[in-house]
Amino acid sequence: MNPETEKTLAFFGRMTANLTHEFKNILAIIQESAGLMEDIMAISPLAKDKYQERFNNSMNTIKNQLQRGMELATRFNRFAHTPDHSRAELELAETMVHFCTLTERFARLKHISLQAGNQQGQEIKITTNPLLLYMVLFYSLDACLSVLPAQCEIRLIPVQKDENVAVEIACSGKQAPSAEDFFTSLRQSSIWADLENAAEQLNAELKCNTDDLRFYLILK
Amino acid sequence: MAGEVNGKTTIRILLVDDEEEFVTTLSERMEMRGFDASVAFDGQKAMESLKTRIPDVMVLDLRMPGIDGMEVLERVKKQNPEIQVIILTGHGSDQDAEQAWRLGAFDYLQKPVGVDALVESIRKAYQQKRQSACAEESSANE
Repeated sequence: MNPETEKTLAFFGRMTANLTHEFKNILAIIQESAGLMEDIMAISPLAKDKYQERFNNSMNTIKNQLQRGMELATRFNRFAHTPDHSRAELELAETMVHFCTLTERFARLKHISLQAGNQQGQEIKITTNPLLLYMVLFYSLDACLSVLPAQCEIRLIPVQKDENVAVEIACSGKQAPSAEDFFTSLRQSSIWADLENAAEQLNAELKCNTDDLRFYLILK
Repeated sequence: MAGEVNGKTTIRILLVDDEEEFVTTLSERMEMRGFDASVAFDGQKAMESLKTRIPDVMVLDLRMPGIDGMEVLERVKKQNPEIQVIILTGHGSDQDAEQAWRLGAFDYLQKPVGVDALVESIRKAYQQKRQSACAEESSANE
């Protein structure tokens, strides 16, 4: 297996493991909520009134978790189809929302907030390799998570930059390192090399804004 | 430590998981089954809670924000080896299971788990704790 295929499979493996973990959590919550309702039904009819509110809460929890599971399954399915076409038209803001929903847990585990932004509020469409774009976004996120402390925020914002379309990766937070330390650490991390390689394959350019904690993925 | 309610031993358990709805609901179900249950939503809070309340059995998730479950397991087994730890995780790799056993976990369960299976594991863990305490007591008296 060549190194590129290995990297792609490793990326899919991490995404799949992360999402199946989320599905298991959803199923566990549904199971416990349904179980609690069953427990309540099994107790004396006299005690049921006391638990009516908890019973209704459990019912709502099940409905909410089913919705969470459905959304995740739909997004996971869409992600699984990214290798189907080597080029496809994507709307960037929607793609950022999609990516952030799929990867939010990686950030949550580090107490870091991940958000998709849409500053300009306009539709930005690009034709690109969807799988490679997701890989580049994933490496960008992974690199940021490796150097940022807890309580920071990462925002992925589609922007029109000069003649090009770009994704701005903006990090912030009270405990965040200085821009100099941030970029030094980023470039020293092994993930940064993967990011540069994947960006090159995507024919995209990485541009760092050394005044603050922002860098751009310029899509050509 | 285990307390008594109406002359019956109540097993103290601590449920640790960052999925708040899951762990809160599970705690209610455990209370309904006669356990004295409390919850912690991350590893840090779980460790802090040990300063005021020592459970007989801890039910612990592995992947959590901040201090992860494996580190909690390691610290608990160093500081309070008498606490029996059951891993309950949705992230079940073979390497994780192996590491958990090595660090002294009593059981390793996968989410979602049936409540009866969990109750059985907690009761066995409690028995194990009592046997260890008795064995220690006998060797101290010899």
